[in-house]
Amino acid sequence: MLTIGKIAEQALVTTDTIRFYEREGLIRPARKSESGYRLYTEEAVRRLGFIKHAQECGFSLAEIRELLELRSDDASCCDDIYKLAVEKKLQLETKVKALKAMSQALSSLIEICSRDRRSLDECPILGALEAGIAQQRRNDK
Amino acid sequence: MAIKVEMFSVPGCGKCAEAKEALKTVAEDLGADKVAWRDVDILEEMDYAAELGLMSSGGIAIDGRLVFPRLPSAGKLREELIRRLKG
Repeated sequence: MLTIGKIAEQALVTTDTIRFYEREGLIRPARKSESGYRLYTEEAVRRLGFIKHAQECGFSLAEIRELLELRSDDASCCDDIYKLAVEKKLQLETKVKALKAMSQALSSLIEICSRDRRSLDECPILGALEAGIAQQRRNDK
Repeated sequence: MAIKVEMFSVPGCGKCAEAKEALKTVAEDLGADKVAWRDVDILEEMDYAAELGLMSSGGIAIDGRLVFPRLPSAGKLREELIRRLKG
């Protein structure tokens, strides 16, 4: 059996992270020692690795919980996991497109700045943003 | 001109296939001359799906716009298609 410190070291996470995951229902100690210390098996290190890698792929903690349940459910199948992975990729691609659109909008704003140190009343960037808001209100009406 | 209905799903997903058949029947009942159905593989057309703002499997686009971000009931789809056909 391993202490929280030992599994943290092996999984390259902090003990605070492990306690946080525990509160989120992602990991549980196998048992507690007589003095109340959390004790874990080697499986906990693999589970922590799984959680970390899933987070790196963009999965939220709720989604990771779902993945962990599928992982341990004999009734789940390849299709379930595959679908989650494809949907996650889709969500990320949709966000990338939205971020690119924002970046494009900012490029347009940056381009109209004449860099001639005018007063803020004459700032073309602020003016464009206000005009954008005014246009939005007209569209909403 | 027929209304273009595109249903986005992940191939191989059994649950999606069942739901898809029920929804496809709604479109077929209204007539292929009125409603043109297309099954879209999210993985093959991920760029298009992302362009529409799709975030999950089962979403449906009508005439190029995402109308149902999540799988609708057959009733809701029928209601929407009939509304568009009348309009």
